[in-house]
Amino acid sequence: MRKLRHRLFWLLTAFCASLACGILLLLVGAIAFRGWPAISWNFFTEQIRLVGASGGIFYNLIGTLILITTALVTCLPIAFGIGLLCGVYQRQHKWRSHLMMLLYLLNGVPSILFGLFGLIVFVKFFGWGKSWLSGGILLGIMMLPTVTVAFIERIEGLPAKYFEAAKGLGLTTTQVVWSVIIPQSLSGLITGSLLGLVRAATETAPIMFTATVFAGATVPHGVKENPVLSLPYHIFILAQDSFDPAVGAKIWGTALVLVGLALLLSLLALPLRLRIHEEARHH
Amino acid sequence: MTGTAPKRREWDFTRLWSLGASAFALGFMLLMVTLFIWQSIPVWKHEGISYVTGKSWFFRQQEFGMLPMVYGSVMVAAVALIIAVPLGLGTAIFTSEFLPSRVRLVVKLIVELLSGIPSVVYGLLGILFLRNWVYDMLERFEPLNGDTLLTAGLLLAVMVLPTIMTLADDALRGVSVNQRLAARGLGLTQTETIFSIVLPQAAPGLMSAVLLGLGRALGETIAVFLVVGRQDNQWPDPIYSMRLLIESGQTLTSKLGSSETNIAYGDPLHWAAMVGLGLILLLMTAAITWVGIRLGKGKDGHA
Repeated sequence: MRKLRHRLFWLLTAFCASLACGILLLLVGAIAFRGWPAISWNFFTEQIRLVGASGGIFYNLIGTLILITTALVTCLPIAFGIGLLCGVYQRQHKWRSHLMMLLYLLNGVPSILFGLFGLIVFVKFFGWGKSWLSGGILLGIMMLPTVTVAFIERIEGLPAKYFEAAKGLGLTTTQVVWSVIIPQSLSGLITGSLLGLVRAATETAPIMFTATVFAGATVPHGVKENPVLSLPYHIFILAQDSFDPAVGAKIWGTALVLVGLALLLSLLALPLRLRIHEEARHH
Repeated sequence: MTGTAPKRREWDFTRLWSLGASAFALGFMLLMVTLFIWQSIPVWKHEGISYVTGKSWFFRQQEFGMLPMVYGSVMVAAVALIIAVPLGLGTAIFTSEFLPSRVRLVVKLIVELLSGIPSVVYGLLGILFLRNWVYDMLERFEPLNGDTLLTAGLLLAVMVLPTIMTLADDALRGVSVNQRLAARGLGLTQTETIFSIVLPQAAPGLMSAVLLGLGRALGETIAVFLVVGRQDNQWPDPIYSMRLLIESGQTLTSKLGSSETNIAYGDPLHWAAMVGLGLILLLMTAAITWVGIRLGKGKDGHA
């Protein structure tokens, strides 16, 4: 009887697991299956024609790359600073846990609120209108928690003896930071950045009012009133009236490219993450 | 060294930078809250508490009541959790308790990869598959179309599944191996060990996983926007009526994501009403995240 109950429970959880993984894999399969016919060399090198029914997504791809590069440039110096404060300078203090909570709260802020914030501050107060720069900055702040937490975890995963040995040589804390901690924990910063970029590249809500348009933008040549096209917004607009089959094929193609970009970034982070997992097991 | 600070503490550029960056993050959060409060003042003056408790939103008549949108947000998140929590917990128990750790890692990494699917793509999938499926399934209740609160909830269930799964798995893995072994040594089956030792110990962590999933569900915009129907002023009568689940509705996020945000800017009162929605959403998600993180912290204080 008890054995039977165990068997049944095992089956139940196995069913949950296969259902959950099944659904998720089915979705990826559906995207790949539907999107594949649209993929060709021209799809990447041509610009949109006929309101998305023809042509490719060249400027959308460029726009998304501009946005996420800006986001990374915004995010890295700040993540670096917060990481050092939490991981090194304030490691033993209660400030650390307050700051960590702040990062988690920031991580929990719904993405549309970044959009609303950007609309008030960048678009209206600063008078930038729709601009690639405001979108990049907003995405940069949005990905900040992901990057910083990965960096901090890596710093705190370092053996304490590294720090002690360097201190013992008479180095100041900052000298230890530059000579030991940063070289050893750079992988955390890189992994975090890649995962943060996944989020930045795929979000629509923060940029829809602040940085991106559906058509009529190419490469920006200034800040004010210089929006870009982007992959997620392209899908977002086309999805709202997806009755034309020709448009349908292009939407799925764009979705596949965006999912592919996200998977590529996460896969790039994978080897480093596996190594961190491995090291954590040996400690 | 540039510093002349007392007590052997070096005030060099790196340390100052780390303080500045942290101040920036704190400043950003404070600025966001202040900005939303300040910009929403007119609507609080105009409506008072009926801004939160009012059931109708007609901006041309200057009537702003957000309750139907709060209702929409809550219902959509509830549907999502009712499906995603049992499924996510079951999966987490399977991966953390029954799978060898190598396989577990593979499953976990796949799930994390899948959590990178963009919400706009979920929305697209919802439009092209889920919407019709819900419509066919509910045919005998005669829904007007497939864009319903239920559709949005089902879509959200899939979206928050990875979050709940992976956090619950972490919580379960956090229970010490020795306790499990002790329980097994007393003759308990693995299932009994899970129910009498592992689940009670991991309960705060599991609760945390659910709350963080809830936070995500409440804040998700784009996917919900695309399938929820965006019908204003949907309020159930009587209150326990579930009929609205299969009708179009509006959530706080779908309202904020609509073009009404753009057209509201010219009119201070209307704009204040839109920003106020953002303020309420921010407070709700922040409170849920805060509790979730506090619960999720292990006894050693690590998150």
